[in-house]
Amino acid sequence: MSGKNKLSIKAFSLGLLLAMAMYFVPGMTSDAIAKEVSAEQVFAEEAFAKEVQAEEALEGEGEAEVEWSQDVFYKDWEGNPLKGPVSGFPAPELGPSDYNNYEFAPSRMLLWVANQQHLYFGSFVLAVPIFCMLIEFIGIRTKEEDPVMSAKYDRLAHDLMKVSLTAYSWTAILGGILLFTFITLFPGFFKYMAGIFRPVMHVYALMFLAESGILYVYYYGWDRMSEDKFLKWIHCSLAVLLNLVGTVLMYLANSWATFMQAPGGIDSEGRFLGNIWHVIHSTLWNPVGVHRILGNIVFGGGIVGAYAAYHYLTAKNEEEKAHYDWVCYVAMFICIFGLIPLPFAGYWLMKEVYAFRQQMGITLMGGIMAWLFIIQAVMIGLLFFAANSYLHNGMARVKGSHRYMKYCKYMILLLILCFTMWMTPHTIVMTPAELKAMGGAQHPIIGHFGVMSAKNTAVNLMITTTILCFLLYQRANKKINVPWATVGNCWIAAIFVGAAANIIFLGIYGYFLPANQRVGLSVPQVTTTLTTLFAGTAINISMFKDSESYGDIQWGSQSKVGTYAIFLLAISFTWLMGLMGYIRSAVRLFWHVTEVVRDNSVDAYTLTIGEAGKMLTFNTLFVWTQFVVVFWVGSLTGKSVEAKAPEGVPVPAQQQQ
Amino acid sequence: MNKALVSFLVFVVGLAVFHNAIFPIFTPKEVGWILNRYVYFLLFVAYLLVTHFTLRLKPPIAMMALFVWGLGFYFYKWVLYPPIPWTLFITYMVMWSIGTFLYVSQDPETFRDFRRPIVKTIVGEYKFAQWVMLIGMPILVGFATYNSIYPSYEEPVELRTVHPAPPATTKVHGKTYPLESTNNPFRIDEQDNYKDSFPFLDAEKEEYMKYVTEGGTIFFQNCHYCHGDQLNGLGMFSHVFNPTPANFIDPGTIAMLQESFLFWRVAKGGPGLPNESTPWSSAMPPWEEHLNTEEIWKVILFEYWYTGWHPRTFGTEGSTAGSGGGE
Repeated sequence: MSGKNKLSIKAFSLGLLLAMAMYFVPGMTSDAIAKEVSAEQVFAEEAFAKEVQAEEALEGEGEAEVEWSQDVFYKDWEGNPLKGPVSGFPAPELGPSDYNNYEFAPSRMLLWVANQQHLYFGSFVLAVPIFCMLIEFIGIRTKEEDPVMSAKYDRLAHDLMKVSLTAYSWTAILGGILLFTFITLFPGFFKYMAGIFRPVMHVYALMFLAESGILYVYYYGWDRMSEDKFLKWIHCSLAVLLNLVGTVLMYLANSWATFMQAPGGIDSEGRFLGNIWHVIHSTLWNPVGVHRILGNIVFGGGIVGAYAAYHYLTAKNEEEKAHYDWVCYVAMFICIFGLIPLPFAGYWLMKEVYAFRQQMGITLMGGIMAWLFIIQAVMIGLLFFAANSYLHNGMARVKGSHRYMKYCKYMILLLILCFTMWMTPHTIVMTPAELKAMGGAQHPIIGHFGVMSAKNTAVNLMITTTILCFLLYQRANKKINVPWATVGNCWIAAIFVGAAANIIFLGIYGYFLPANQRVGLSVPQVTTTLTTLFAGTAINISMFKDSESYGDIQWGSQSKVGTYAIFLLAISFTWLMGLMGYIRSAVRLFWHVTEVVRDNSVDAYTLTIGEAGKMLTFNTLFVWTQFVVVFWVGSLTGKSVEAKAPEGVPVPAQQQQ
Repeated sequence: MNKALVSFLVFVVGLAVFHNAIFPIFTPKEVGWILNRYVYFLLFVAYLLVTHFTLRLKPPIAMMALFVWGLGFYFYKWVLYPPIPWTLFITYMVMWSIGTFLYVSQDPETFRDFRRPIVKTIVGEYKFAQWVMLIGMPILVGFATYNSIYPSYEEPVELRTVHPAPPATTKVHGKTYPLESTNNPFRIDEQDNYKDSFPFLDAEKEEYMKYVTEGGTIFFQNCHYCHGDQLNGLGMFSHVFNPTPANFIDPGTIAMLQESFLFWRVAKGGPGLPNESTPWSSAMPPWEEHLNTEEIWKVILFEYWYTGWHPRTFGTEGSTAGSGGGE
């Protein structure tokens, strides 16, 4: 591989690491920061409340003008419920007149479909600008060293934005459908939510306007702003702004869902207590936000990957094949980088759910939703299999990879063993005869895999294996020449062996600790895994300095199995997103807003696993049908250009060597 | 001799010899660290590796896949003991099959090698294999169909929620207990740290052990018939119940729960289970009708002491001893 291209891959890796750190680190630390900020705020509010009450007492004019009530969630310094001035109406007791329905389908299902479709598209249009920002940035950075590659990156970012533009309008339309579905089918509930979130909804609409404006300038100004170096940087800055606005948009919309699940800023009657920030940033707001950003990146990567994979399989000439193979690689690279920290964000979310209501946590992990979590485990396993299969097959087309290919089978074995542990249920479905044969409800060997100590260990080892596979992929065609190559290799080996030993030790140690301390062990396990990611990647990339190439990456020669793995990943992730969304929403059981607004509609029941599965499959198929249409619409403008592509499409730099 | 054939014979004959001659040696009545079925399995794998290495056998990838898949099947079906339920067996085999597929499809070359005999069979180059498939497949399908429609009188499989979410509060003997904040009033030390020093106890420990002993007495008077004298869910009546009584030794039962959860389950029994735990076939009586509140708490104390588990706590809320009051 050329030195220039090495630089671009380094810049790309570094960019992704930074981007991930930018999202992930604040996310993990924001809990502590939020609490401190909240503590200061609480102190000020308490002081203000006492002042107002004292003034009212001094005036002595009978009853206080402002009624004060206790918050259902926020607490003051001493752990007593925080008080706030009542600023809204109590939650309504909803009756038959608050629900409308059509004959052909239950309202809840219609709302589910409308919501899920909007979320899928929202997720995609929020993810694509993140890719475009990174890809355009790398294009700018590599322009001087490798103009051909730089143009390639720029073209890819531009093409993705074109698709995103169509998807953006589609998302807005689906948002409108969702809003109308809420208003027409659940008017009573929507009235209450609108009463609480009135200012947020207006800000949301304004942010949407800002997002649209920036998006149009960003897309339509692409060619014009590419002509000048300074303007190109301004253009790239617009992408940053676009992502910032997009993230704010998503966080505002998240606040409605997190409020419904774990409300704050209201009293037990559902009356708004005057502080909109309390309502927005209820306890699940931060973890849901981080989880969704990472999820969006994986989802977006999966869709772009599937799009490229389709074009790769149907490509008419070698050049086209090479291009789309490369796009698959970029998309999967981004996708896997999002996938690795995603389970950790999920753990954080579940921890906050348990902290909010133990009851809700048990319903999710041990109660009525537990079987859906087993299905989730299967789907996550599929994602890791697909990612690893792609990497293994991708590695095979790189010259020099034979040095590492021999380790693939051991990595597969480790993945399968970990996955078996990861998805062994605590409560096994069995007939009475089987139960008798087993000698009790728990198996003496595999029964130990049913608890979190085993599962945390398994998932961390799976992620560490995927990271190792990725590092090997990175160095597959490189002959390391740095003088400290042996030391570097020893360090990488030591990091991975040490990490595996530490993860396994902590997993076993967990069985000997009380449950509350055991839960805490997941933190050092996760830290160990992330250390392999950051330290391993950093050392690996540093070792590429002055490296020689065994040969070029044979773009356009990816195997079919590796390409189908991308489809598997994309479809599985779509289904998984729907599943987890359903679980998060359905855990409220018979509440619209937990413990405040009761769902008195005829639809206030929990679906059977089969019914839920059918709906999820329908939503997945429906959204993919729409994506096909959107991509087709996006391709309409490019078709005439594609016909005479050879002139404009540069051959990958690796193939020019 | 064809090396692939030798490899196949090494596997098949080796398996037959190992299973019939060596397996019984490794499954004695008194299972030891060496003489156990898992060591036996490792020995068999080692035998395969060593013979293939010394005889320099390199079977084609399709045969390797067959060996790998066969090893998984053999382990889950014959080696793992006690036998696992069918649903889990199928799940494990699906996992193992996916793993085998990943193994053969890790690069285009191995996948091509893997597909070659299959393609040759389909297009007719391997006539004998084609005949075997043409005759064998219908027989296999017919056998599976016969098995599936053959009348079976087993109870149907139930998908029960074993750990239902508790209610926010529970009312026992006229008192309402908020489950998230209720603690065992007899728990002097949160983590049962007195267990190891028994019977050399100071005054405080003696008091604690007095409660534990009282709890134990109540347990053996009332609970051990089902939950077993070793608290492993294998009491003398346990085999007639479905669901079976809880096994407290298992790390997934009381070790994962707050004491207040147990208090609610013991007090309300099977009839007090929430809707999500349908069908309500639990035989556990509502013990609030037979024991007083203090006796229930003492039994719970005993169960944790005996098993060595520690009750689940969240943050610091569970650390305050003796605050088992209600409203």
